[in-house]
Amino acid sequence: MTNLELSRVAPESALHESALIAGNGRLDLPVEIDPKPLGALLRPALYALEALAFPLALLGLWTLSSRLGWLPAQILPAPDQVAATLAELAGNGDLWFHTSISLLRVVQGFALGGTLGLLLGIAMGLSPRVRRSVEPLFTALAQVPPLGWIPVLMLLVGIDEGLKLLIIAKAALIPVALNTHKGIRNVPDSLREVGAVLAFDRWATLTRIVLPAAVPSIFTGVRYGLTSAWLALVAVELLASSEGLGYLMVWGRQLFQLDMVIAAMLVVGLVGFALDWTLSRVERRLQRWELAGS
Amino acid sequence: MSTPDLAIAPSSRRLPAHLNGLVPVLVLLAGWEIASRSGLVDPKLLPSLLAVAGRAGRELVEGRLAVDVAASLARDIAGFAIGSLAGIVAGLALGLSRPADRLIGPSFNAVKQIAIFAWIPLISVWFGVGEAAKVAFIALAAFTPVAVNTWEGARAAPPKLMEVARVLEFGRWRSLRLVILPAALPAIFAGLHLGLINAWLATVGAEYFMTVGPGIGGLMTEGREHFHMDLVLLGVLLLGLIGLALNTLATRLEARALRWRHR
Amino acid sequence: MADIIHHAAARGALEIRGLTKRYRVSGTPFTALQDIGLSVAPGEFVSIVGASGCGKSTLLRLIVGLERQFDGEILLDGRPVARPGLDRAIVFQEHRLFPWLTAEENVALGLLKSAHPTADKRRLVREHLELVGLGAFAKAYPSQLSGGMSQRVAIARALVARPRILLLDEPFGALDALTRSHLQAELLRIVRAEGITAILVTHDVEEALYLGDRVVVMHPRPGRIASVIPAGRLPLTEDGGPPGPGLGHDRADPAFVRLREAVLAELGAGHAPPPVRHAA
Ligand SMILES: Nc1ncnc2c1ncn2[C@@H]1O[C@H](COP(=O)(O)OP(=O)(O)OP(=O)(O)O)[C@@H](O)[C@H]1O
Ligand SMILES: [Mg+2]
Repeated sequence: MTNLELSRVAPESALHESALIAGNGRLDLPVEIDPKPLGALLRPALYALEALAFPLALLGLWTLSSRLGWLPAQILPAPDQVAATLAELAGNGDLWFHTSISLLRVVQGFALGGTLGLLLGIAMGLSPRVRRSVEPLFTALAQVPPLGWIPVLMLLVGIDEGLKLLIIAKAALIPVALNTHKGIRNVPDSLREVGAVLAFDRWATLTRIVLPAAVPSIFTGVRYGLTSAWLALVAVELLASSEGLGYLMVWGRQLFQLDMVIAAMLVVGLVGFALDWTLSRVERRLQRWELAGS
Repeated sequence: MSTPDLAIAPSSRRLPAHLNGLVPVLVLLAGWEIASRSGLVDPKLLPSLLAVAGRAGRELVEGRLAVDVAASLARDIAGFAIGSLAGIVAGLALGLSRPADRLIGPSFNAVKQIAIFAWIPLISVWFGVGEAAKVAFIALAAFTPVAVNTWEGARAAPPKLMEVARVLEFGRWRSLRLVILPAALPAIFAGLHLGLINAWLATVGAEYFMTVGPGIGGLMTEGREHFHMDLVLLGVLLLGLIGLALNTLATRLEARALRWRHR
Repeated sequence: MADIIHHAAARGALEIRGLTKRYRVSGTPFTALQDIGLSVAPGEFVSIVGASGCGKSTLLRLIVGLERQFDGEILLDGRPVARPGLDRAIVFQEHRLFPWLTAEENVALGLLKSAHPTADKRRLVREHLELVGLGAFAKAYPSQLSGGMSQRVAIARALVARPRILLLDEPFGALDALTRSHLQAELLRIVRAEGITAILVTHDVEEALYLGDRVVVMHPRPGRIASVIPAGRLPLTEDGGPPGPGLGHDRADPAFVRLREAVLAELGAGHAPPPVRHAA
């Protein structure tokens, strides 16, 4: 015997449902609006304190070690010296000069590589023919780390801007293309079928279903690509450049001015962080629908 | 993906599809060979494939190639072993201890933003330019992704399973062994995989920047300095092949270790 | 039968002959539907009941044109169904809303390929959201809606383009009794008013009988039609019925009880393991 006759699925609270329908025209979503207790307000401050405790302790140790001369200054310069160098570099405009050059390079290279990667990824995701004919070559090229191409390109295009642009673009292209491709191929069939039933043409399918569904994956690729581009920039500037943050480090290293090296490292970290943070903001905006309701 | 509709892809179509993909590769290689031989492109810039193969043969006979490859691989593996081990330990500590997570976590997140190659000048001052410096750098490169992923994995032990553990009155050690570690394993393996790729990238970088001693990076640098494109291309080929081999190995091991997930 | 042939030239006549659908499951063929034959007159409402896995969803997917490979014929107003089209709409078993679009944007997708002017489209979308009781939720994302609310949006999306045939795959499963009977009544009203042919899959025998002019009972392994039971238009309660549970029909009406018993008996026959029939 089946239980088909009255197999009404337990209603997900009839009251709740009809209350929502009868609502006053506003979204009655269960949003918490009760005033936060003091403890909740203080918690972020407490976390910030905890987060700062460790680096402060390290800084203290570092200061102590340089005061007591545990390590020679050529191995580890005093923190105040690093700060002074940083201030000096910032004051005389050198820091901004080198940072802006590095930023410009990474933006150009990333724009080139990211765009090509996006187009390639979309083409591979949409057309099985393109995928079949491009994938082996693409995979083969992707196996070589971005740095592997530096000597080849040095011989082919010299050590000027072209080299940097190509290396950075290549570093960005691979992750963007791979993730775009993956995102498009993983668009759920259930949604594609809805498109078919609603008689979407190819364009509508692409813009209404495929691309929106692939956005999370594409963005993973874009963030990866930017990180990878920044990494490649530093490498190529260390190897062959006469300006930029990487060059600043090489220069400091040659002069045995570790304070300058460390100052430049700090800026490299800061810029890397800022780039990634910016993208994560954009990502959150684009994926509002995912955050809404959760 | 629910039930796959197997009616779509008869296996007889697969082989030609695969061969299709090889066509552009072959065309490219053929074009290369023709361009180089006919003198369309300066053979100095684009040596023929035969020249590259010849160079490979010569280097192999002289015994240098084997030394270079072995040196690079040994560095890569040593650095990866040290870095990934340290990464797992650090990641577990961060993931399992709330004080560690809150005290050290943010600092770690900040430090990992420094592009890995930016460490090279500092490392070369601290460790010199010999083997120790290279291995230290490779270890650092492997450390970061392994630590990050292990940390994430250990922190995200599924609450539902943890409740089961609590109901069954597992102790700390048993929860770790039976719930937290198995749940974190996929993340840890993903981290190890990334770490392996990173380590190989760092090996190349270390050999470019710290040019003492044998290695594929050194071989390529030498080729570039003497304008021996065949040597440089040989290096590229080796980098790709070894990278592919490591990658494939990692994928296989990962799939094996995580078989239970797909059952 | 003669009646159906008579209507064949009109809009929304469905004719299925000798329909067989096989899947391959890990290499071996598996018959999901076997020799299905069914004629649905324009404007008719047919309910399908049957055990889980007997191929109800598959049948709807075939009619809507999502499955291309099958044996037999599916004719819509005399023309074979080859691909999906705006003359047919389906409400899937799962709501399948686009998570990145709001409720109203999801409904508007149903009109994306129709020729209405933009202002009309906007009005139609609003009307249909109100019809399913979600006027206040036009700007909500699917993740902010409950399962039942999402399903209602999906119903609005299917109705908004006024298809000739409407296919519904357990659309009311996740709804509370009140909303369910309200939507049943509205569905029936629209379908009747517009002369839309409707095919409804449900696990609820009473729902099948109340809504359907006929109830198709299917049996599993292989999926096939066991019998077709005419339900007719069941009489309403004396006072015409405030829509309570089940459209305000009289549950105690002997005719209804008889029909329900008949359908249940047919369903049960497919479940009892009959060794005799098995050998045949
Ligand atoms: N794409 C597919 N590949 C292989 N088998 C399939 C596929 N789709 C459906 N089937 C099989 O066909 C049979 C009928 O499936 P269907 O979804 O139509 O059942 P149903 O009657 O709608 O069940 P339910 O009431 O649970 O929704 C099932 O045995 C299922 O395993
Ligand atoms: Mg179904």
